[in-house]
Amino acid sequence: MILRPTAALGVLALCATLAAPSVPVAAAGDTILFGSAVSLTGSLTKEGHLTQEGYEFWKTYTNAHGGIKVGGKTYKVDIKYYDDESKPATAAQLAERLIDQDHVNFILGPYGSGTAFTVAQMVERKKIPMVEGNGAAEKIFSQGFKYTFAVLSPAKRYLEGVLDIGKHQKPAAQTVAITAASDSFSQEVAQGAAEWAAAHGLKVVYNNKYPDTATDVSSIISAVKATNPDIILNAGHLQDALLVHKGLKEQNVPAKIYGYSVGPDTPDFTNSLGKDANDVLGGAQWSDAVKYHGDPGFYASAKDYAKAFEAAYHHRPDYHNAESTAACLAFQYAIQAAGSLDTEKVRDALAKLDKTTFFGILKFDSRGINVFKPMVVNQIQNGRLVTVYPPGLAEAKVKYPAPPWGQR
Amino acid sequence: MHLLAQDLVNGILAGGILAVVALGFSLVWGIMNIINLAHGAFIMLGAFITWQLFTSFHVDPFLSLPVSFVVLFVLGYLIQRYLINWVARAPVLTTFLLTFGLSLLIVNIALLIWTGDTRGVTTAYSGSNFTVAGITVPWAKVYTLAAALVITGVMYMWLHRSKTGRAIRATSMDIGAAQLAGVRVAQIFAIVYGLGAGLAGVAGTLISLSYSLNPAMGQPFLIKGFVVCVLGGLGSVEGALVGGLAYGIVEAFASQIDLTIGTQHISGTGLQDAVALVVLLIVLMVRPTGIMGRATA
Amino acid sequence: MSTALRKIGLGGITGNRTALFISLGLMVLLLLVPTVLPGYQTLFRTILCFVALAYGWNIIGGYTGYVSFGNMVFFGLGTYCAALLSARGIDNLFADVGLAVVVNAAFAAVVGFPVLRLKGHYFGIATLGTALAVTDIVGNLDIFGGTGGLKVTQVDEAHFAIYYYAAWLVAAGAIAVTFLVARSKLGYAFVAIRENEDAAAVLGISATKYKIIAWAISAAIAGAAGAVYARGNGFVDPSIAFAEDFNVYPIVMTILGGTGTVAGPFVGALILSGVNETLGHTFLKLHSLFFGAVIVLVVLLLPRGLVWLIGLRGGVRTWIKSLQAYKA
Repeated sequence: MILRPTAALGVLALCATLAAPSVPVAAAGDTILFGSAVSLTGSLTKEGHLTQEGYEFWKTYTNAHGGIKVGGKTYKVDIKYYDDESKPATAAQLAERLIDQDHVNFILGPYGSGTAFTVAQMVERKKIPMVEGNGAAEKIFSQGFKYTFAVLSPAKRYLEGVLDIGKHQKPAAQTVAITAASDSFSQEVAQGAAEWAAAHGLKVVYNNKYPDTATDVSSIISAVKATNPDIILNAGHLQDALLVHKGLKEQNVPAKIYGYSVGPDTPDFTNSLGKDANDVLGGAQWSDAVKYHGDPGFYASAKDYAKAFEAAYHHRPDYHNAESTAACLAFQYAIQAAGSLDTEKVRDALAKLDKTTFFGILKFDSRGINVFKPMVVNQIQNGRLVTVYPPGLAEAKVKYPAPPWGQR
Repeated sequence: MHLLAQDLVNGILAGGILAVVALGFSLVWGIMNIINLAHGAFIMLGAFITWQLFTSFHVDPFLSLPVSFVVLFVLGYLIQRYLINWVARAPVLTTFLLTFGLSLLIVNIALLIWTGDTRGVTTAYSGSNFTVAGITVPWAKVYTLAAALVITGVMYMWLHRSKTGRAIRATSMDIGAAQLAGVRVAQIFAIVYGLGAGLAGVAGTLISLSYSLNPAMGQPFLIKGFVVCVLGGLGSVEGALVGGLAYGIVEAFASQIDLTIGTQHISGTGLQDAVALVVLLIVLMVRPTGIMGRATA
Repeated sequence: MSTALRKIGLGGITGNRTALFISLGLMVLLLLVPTVLPGYQTLFRTILCFVALAYGWNIIGGYTGYVSFGNMVFFGLGTYCAALLSARGIDNLFADVGLAVVVNAAFAAVVGFPVLRLKGHYFGIATLGTALAVTDIVGNLDIFGGTGGLKVTQVDEAHFAIYYYAAWLVAAGAIAVTFLVARSKLGYAFVAIRENEDAAAVLGISATKYKIIAWAISAAIAGAAGAVYARGNGFVDPSIAFAEDFNVYPIVMTILGGTGTVAGPFVGALILSGVNETLGHTFLKLHSLFFGAVIVLVVLLLPRGLVWLIGLRGGVRTWIKSLQAYKA
């Protein structure tokens, strides 16, 4: 008898907990509050953490160096995080909560194009500016959004540099095989590569996709081998990049260049593959070899940034860290230029931004994406990642062609 | 033609792993009527055990097979005996939900222990291959298929010859009659679930040779395991093997599809899953309990 | 016929009244969300879609006993119905829902003919297979926008709450349909099929006909939820339309709440979301882990679902006794 009303009350109580809003960490008098949904669990955990590290690094530095000066007043910065579990739908819900419930001033983007897209939709409705550094799909920027800005280069660019390298070698590479995962980001990367190849006289002899969740890609590899390409490209994610590379070795597929959109830049790639990872090329948004010189007020050079970052987080920063920090910097410069925290003024200031930083130039085209910063290409040489392209930023020569399997 | 032959070989080799994945899952489902959603998590644990032994002690993955089997068997036995057993006779959906929760638990604990980093097991012979009649065959995959066949064979023998094995099969046919014959059902269930987990661990070890590891890695294999089980016939060792090989081959051949209808280009490589699933549906229409399944549902 | 059914042990299949009234009360409260809790509007809109999906699933899975692992395909097709209408310039929620209902009921009927002949586990996997196959196919066809997806036209921010209320209406409709079905001849037929399909045939219940009806109703509800979700989301692509959450969570919610009851899916949906949210607030990184632990505990302690607990007479002792019933 006691159980029934108690249970009923329990049900209501639980529902009330759901309804109870979290204590709103509203923008206090002298703090600028950023909100960010990042993937702290789920399939993109690793990358979500890298994104968060990049944000936190900037926050710590800024607060330690006097914060941001806006119209004569000094503000500290704070960032409120939620875990989007690597799910785009969740990211959008959390963005709404950050804006309407926690009353953040601005939004820092999530990791991944899928999540960035749903959050971009949300901030567009709510008219709150967002800067992101981890979602490169052009799909985000072809919707006419006015409130989303991305500091990274578009997806289509990822593998162009690899093809450019192949074209300028002696003997020049002539044929290209493209394998891609079926998600929209990888598809854009593949499309960009195919278009560049066609426009620059390289013949695409194979271009096919495989499901995201593929557990075996042997048939694709066999088909690629049959076309005998000079360059083999993969547009996918770490899991399938590893699957493809292992498969290429297993079936003894020779090529002059192996290029991956995702993988070489992650230590996990080299750790997993050992010697077989050598000579692989990867497109990257940044490396610590780039020679940009930023404004004082933050680490001016890539090497300074890398050194300080490594001291704080005990690992070399990869481009996910750097692009996240760059997103914060974009906000900082825009807020300072606008001289106010008004969302419209900051949005306009972002649209007009034109600054060079350790990451490269921060400037957005009319769609909101940074087409002005070139991609770099890194190569794994003797287990180390070195930048080999563009020529002006290269710290080492490209090793070409890749030696046969078993001789790395 | 030559490409088709290569596809056939690829398919068989891939199918071997799927067979082992499906084997443990099928036994638990067929005998205990439990859809073990934690199977993917067990696979992952087996893979990580292998990785840990390989990285810290340089133990070859094939040598770690018995270790992952035993560790996962014990884990599975304990989980069944002291957790799942409370609802062992409940409708299949109850245990479905329970194993769903268990899966979340195990994956997240693994995330804490090993972090989200992706790992790999790369041995001296991984990637090495031989060529026969123009077909390239990777050694590691051949060893894996061999291991899969051996394991399937051993399981089949054990289930049909040993005392415990016969008790298990009796229980699956009629719990009441088995109890009357003196079978301790709770004990049998724990053994079967432990077996299922152990086989998952073994699958994980074999998978770790070609597929990279992270706490979420079991998911795609779980889903394929679902399909392969049913394709071959639930609760049947031969079924898991036949189903796995069939699925692997169909997926491999599916990649040959290359049509253009109007402006729509259809490529089989992106439709591997769809093709395999259509084949499954066709098989089920003709043989409603799977290729090797028994008549009773 | 109802006397015959009672003889094989089937009494009131509506569940219990207390749970039902609590659910209805909470449904009314949910109407206040856009005004009182605007920061949670998207979340609750999604929960309402889950509620609708759970009810849809309950009809085929809970009442008829045919556990479907592929109901997400109807949801997904529903989202594409809205997206395709939007692409043709038709932006009317009624049209969206109408088309989704018709398309999905038809799809279920057509696929149901062969698939519903399978029993138990095989049916479940066949439905899963159908769902996965359709996901793949849709992602590969250009008319559906491929993996790039399709944009869905939305109203402006000032009127945005209309999508919330639409979702609410779909969920309320799903509850109403379930309630009506449960008390009608259809409901008895469904349950009869679940308990003993052969005996039901002897009693004159055509299993094929009723199974297809059950699945068609279930599909129609799921499709309606999808159509509304698509409008609220503004974008549809295979990863959104056929997201695994839409497959697993409605099943989980219904089981948690209590299958084959009217209040079950709703209670389960709210509790599950409530727990998920609370954990998300409290533990930034460990919430998934605790969520798994909570599910395990709930299943072990309440294997019959929460609705059973709400209506329980006899207190703690009955509850402890019930735990022994399922032990092997």
